[in-house]
Amino acid sequence: MRGRLLRAALLVLRLAVAAVLVYAGWVKLRQPPLLFALEVDSYQLLPSWAVLALAYALPWVELGLGLWLASGLAAAWSATAATLLLGTFFGVVLRTYLKGLEINCGCFGPSEPLTRWTVVRDGLLVVMALVTAAGAWWQRRRRAA
Amino acid sequence: MRRSKWVCGFVTAALAVLAAAAVAQTRRAHPVRTAARSEPSAQQIAAAKTYGVRTAPVTIEEFSDFECPACRELYMGTLRPLIDEYVAQGKVYLVHHDFPLPVHQYARSAALYANAAAAIGRFEPVERALFTRQPEWSASGRVRDVVAGALTAAEMKRVDALVKDPVVAAAVDHDVELGRQAGVQRTPTMFISFRGQRTPVVGVVSYDVLRRFLNSLLASR
Repeated sequence: MRGRLLRAALLVLRLAVAAVLVYAGWVKLRQPPLLFALEVDSYQLLPSWAVLALAYALPWVELGLGLWLASGLAAAWSATAATLLLGTFFGVVLRTYLKGLEINCGCFGPSEPLTRWTVVRDGLLVVMALVTAAGAWWQRRRRAA
Repeated sequence: MRRSKWVCGFVTAALAVLAAAAVAQTRRAHPVRTAARSEPSAQQIAAAKTYGVRTAPVTIEEFSDFECPACRELYMGTLRPLIDEYVAQGKVYLVHHDFPLPVHQYARSAALYANAAAAIGRFEPVERALFTRQPEWSASGRVRDVVAGALTAAEMKRVDALVKDPVVAAAVDHDVELGRQAGVQRTPTMFISFRGQRTPVVGVVSYDVLRRFLNSLLASR
């Protein structure tokens, strides 16, 4: 009974993280890539060529990873990849906030200011992804045993 | 003979009164003309803070604070080359709006000087000087010295008079109100308008990425 509840909770968590990634990718794909590039550029982290490459690739990566995570195929690996991606976002957002750069987040489309709530939200997403990954590896090990 | 003397005296007196009235009228009229020349309207000031032609396909409105380091970075690294290339070629119409933030001690004073300079058609050199020498005056508060360095003595005399003019203060307040209405909370904020669509861009963006974005807009015409 307890194991079934835990599995259900892990499934809900995995689908929630997947939905966030799919939504983030879909919203970015709906806007011109060069507009998203301006938002990426405002973080003042990358050279122009990397900004452009990221602006074109990231929405597809988010969408693909979200769908992979939702499918449940090699869930441990997809959840680990999602944790790494969301962890990177969290690190960048936290650095920007601490540096005092007043910019838009660009996380879920344009006109979303980067505030302390963005940092909290991204931190929460990392925790969710981390629990999902840990649960997926635990289930994988149990199945192998 | 005596009668003609009276007539001559009356005519002379009448002429003298008329002449005095004319002089008084001229003296009254003169300050009105001077006032009209030295008191430009807020619209004239706003028009003097623009670069390029109004009919350009892309309009960029920039809300900026002269004391904000990010605004300086955007101006020096992105807007200057933009003015030299896209504005000069008639592709972009650049509009400067003042949005002095209360956290910056001298930002409003700098905005007032820039608007006073705009009133005499000397916005560009003052804007350039304020941003270029921002580290200097934002530390010392000597905004006037920096402005004086960008103008002639005669121009500075006019700016000194205009900086206290309520019309100049109203021009700054009008810009701030425009920014608030547009949802500006931070500086620099740009609004890029193309074909009726207005896109906000917050923070510093590199000229290279902005150039590519503008090219994509212009190519879709």
